Amino acid sequence: MITLTHFLVVSACIFCIGLYAVLAKRNSIMILVGIELMINAAILNFVAFGKYDKLQYGGQVFALFAIVLAAAAVAVGLAIILNVYRHYKTINPQKINELKD
Amino acid sequence: MEEILFYAFATLAITAALLVVNIRNTARALFLFFVVLFAMAGLYLFALADFVAITQILVYVGGVLILLIFAFMLSNKELLADLQNTSRKFISLPNWQSALLSLAFLSVMLYAFWGWKQHTPDWIMESQRQGTVIQATDNNIATLGFKFMTQYVLPFEVISIFLMMALIGAAHLSRKGDSV
Amino acid sequence: MHISPIYASMLVVLSPFLAFLIQAILGKKSISGNISLAAIILSTVISLCIVFFEVWNQSPINERWAWFTIGKNTFYIGILLNNLTVLMQLLVCVIALPVHIYSRAYMKDDAGIHRYWMYLSLFCFAMLGLTVSINLFQLYIFWELVGFASYLLIGYWFTKESAAQANKKAFLINRIGDIGFLIGIALVYAHFGTLDLVELFGKEGNTILVDKNVAWLNIAGIAFFLGAMAKSAQFPLHVWLPDAMEGPTSVSSLIHAATMVAAGVFLLCTVFPLFNTFVLLIITIIGCITALSAAIFALAQYDIKKILAFSTISQLGFMMVAVGIGAWDAAMFHLTTHAFFKCLLFLSAGAVIHEMAHFKAHEKLDIDPQDLRNMGGLRKYMPKTFGLMMIASLALAGFPLTSGYLSKDSIVVSAYEWASALGTWHLLIPLTLITVSILTAFYIGRLIFKAFFGRFAFEQNNSSPALHEASSTMLWPMGFLAACSLFVAFGWTPIDYHNTWLMHGFHVKSTATAIPMAHSIIPLILTLGAVVAWGIGWRWYVKAAYPLNPNNSLIVFANRQGYLNEINNLLFVQGTVKLSQLCYGFDRTIIDGITYVVSGITKGLSSFANWFDKYIVDGIVNLIGRLAYLIGHLVRKVQNGRIQNYLGFALTVVVLGIIYLIIK
Repeated sequence: MITLTHFLVVSACIFCIGLYAVLAKRNSIMILVGIELMINAAILNFVAFGKYDKLQYGGQVFALFAIVLAAAAVAVGLAIILNVYRHYKTINPQKINELKD
Repeated sequence: MEEILFYAFATLAITAALLVVNIRNTARALFLFFVVLFAMAGLYLFALADFVAITQILVYVGGVLILLIFAFMLSNKELLADLQNTSRKFISLPNWQSALLSLAFLSVMLYAFWGWKQHTPDWIMESQRQGTVIQATDNNIATLGFKFMTQYVLPFEVISIFLMMALIGAAHLSRKGDSV
Repeated sequence: MHISPIYASMLVVLSPFLAFLIQAILGKKSISGNISLAAIILSTVISLCIVFFEVWNQSPINERWAWFTIGKNTFYIGILLNNLTVLMQLLVCVIALPVHIYSRAYMKDDAGIHRYWMYLSLFCFAMLGLTVSINLFQLYIFWELVGFASYLLIGYWFTKESAAQANKKAFLINRIGDIGFLIGIALVYAHFGTLDLVELFGKEGNTILVDKNVAWLNIAGIAFFLGAMAKSAQFPLHVWLPDAMEGPTSVSSLIHAATMVAAGVFLLCTVFPLFNTFVLLIITIIGCITALSAAIFALAQYDIKKILAFSTISQLGFMMVAVGIGAWDAAMFHLTTHAFFKCLLFLSAGAVIHEMAHFKAHEKLDIDPQDLRNMGGLRKYMPKTFGLMMIASLALAGFPLTSGYLSKDSIVVSAYEWASALGTWHLLIPLTLITVSILTAFYIGRLIFKAFFGRFAFEQNNSSPALHEASSTMLWPMGFLAACSLFVAFGWTPIDYHNTWLMHGFHVKSTATAIPMAHSIIPLILTLGAVVAWGIGWRWYVKAAYPLNPNNSLIVFANRQGYLNEINNLLFVQGTVKLSQLCYGFDRTIIDGITYVVSGITKGLSSFANWFDKYIVDGIVNLIGRLAYLIGHLVRKVQNGRIQNYLGFALTVVVLGIIYLIIK
């Protein structure tokens, strides 16, 4: 039996892997990939819970919206990365530190 | 049978995700991300969300991933050079602070799910009792389409405008000439 | 015109002082000594005519003037004229005058003779002032001045190393005595409140109104005697007198034979009422020891002047014994006669040495002109000198018809009377005195025989050596002194000393009964003994039948003055040097060592403090600074502008918050 918990565990794993990628990668594009993984994990979560909502189909609808939002986020993110590269000549987030004190 | 497939997809997804975050070569990582997305779509099917799975493949894989790959491939040589000269290894060592943090989050969440297992929320038990659980034989697409047009029409419109704004903005941001 | 004897006496004292000043100012321009001679002639005439004849056996006169006041105490200076003081003053003048005349010939052609006249006048002034002092304080001032003049005159040939050492020695030993004198003065002043001789002892100088058996009086008596011991060369403070022979012979004759050394005896006679029986016994014993030891030392000396110096010490011992037994009039008598014949002995010896020195320079020999072994048979070449010296030797030996016979017998007889009144062991004193008298005859006989008889040591080289008789400038003063050495100067009887005018002048109550038999037996023994001594001497020295080995240990012992100088050197000189080295070492190692240790400790402490300050105090400050820096550095990393870090921190806090909530 595939219970809800299975989905949740998988979702948690993917989320944490995505979190790790956001925190540890030296490449902005990989950070973006990490964000995508996290969003994917969230969508899996939605869908897992949405199985029990036949009345409103809330989970699956929201999952669809989340996919769209993820796409938009990627697009804008890439545009920002392009601009950052033009200014800093690097996309290593460690080197982009002019926001420091 | 069902379980074996589920575990296979889950393992694939998790393994591929681990590889994605650990491989040095960004291009290969992006291609592995492609595997992750496919595995995730498979998992959606087990949750009886067929439309979401298809949409995932269409939009995510066909749109987002292609966008990422194009963006990566079409970058300048300096960008690529900068990315490749960090380490010689195939798999880089994990950054332990971030790994620790991730594991902490994982453990917190697993602990929460453990508790979830003990106490299933009321609404789920209610819906299970009442039988309002999605069945494998349900026609999801028709119902979803119906819902979009009636119940969720506002978010649907908003999100389409939002998507348009985001794309216009991205296009403007990445124009040639002096950047904003 | 009646001049007060007081002012006359002052003139007597001041006239040589004036001569001293004028001679000092004129310096090298005046070398004939006429100024000093004129001054001493004036002093002698005034002293004889006005002072002596006015005061001798008349009532004593004194006069004092206030000098300075400290608090409530006033100190005076003044003149005291009684029998004792005018006798001494006259004696000094009468001895100084021939010496001045003699010096003109003796010191002729000496470079620096202007200094000689200057010092001689200074000495005469000081000695004359000493004799007529009204109080002990003034006496002490002149006492010191006399010592100083003696120092100058002993070291007259100061370029000679031995002379420079001798005058230092004389002065130092005199200082020891002067401490005693000063202690005596202090004790008298403390207990009597006055130093005035008239107030203390009455006009005649022989009364005192205090019980004499108190402890402080013992100490005061011994203190005064200590002063006299140094000045009058008593054992063991006699060691300076033989060395004082480094001075010119005329100086030796005046100062170290007749006058200065007599000042000690004079002092004891002046403060005689102060002495109790205990102190007097000590004086007697020490005088006796002095007489005996000096006579023994004189037996083995080869230098003429040293023989005479020891003879002086021995005779001074006699005088001290006389004071000790209470017969200080006999002491004064012997002092007077001794002054004449000892001065004459020295002047004749000086004539001999003068001729020997000329001979030495003429023949270009390298001999000591004062050594007896280089003389012999001089009677052929210097008959008049021989004759005069013979008279003086007879007086010293105590042969009848001389003044010395009278004075020496007076002492020995009085000693015998005193001893037989007191007891058995006291008889040792007169016995010793008799022995010393015989020894005295022997050594002076030895001197005469070795110098004037026999054969001249250098006769074999030269059949007629260039030796001449002494000049008449030398001979006339010597002749005058010889005349005074005969009995006629003092009385009409050559035998009985009580009938001399000098003894009549002093009224001394003798404590012992007179023993008439002693009056004849003792002089007989003494005379016979002297004759026998001269007989033996004739055999040994003239006939050259000398039986003893000259190098035998007793003779060497006597020649080396009983090794007293060596003992003194070892004890005091080396002792002081060792002590000073010890102190230096102590100062260097311990005191400086302590200083170094303390400074080392301080340096160590300071370097520790420095280390402490540098590493610990500064270290703490630096640590805090570094800590702040590190914390800042650390905390700064938070705001490093890296978004992944920011995200990491935020999520860490979130996780921690969730865990906290779970646990809670």
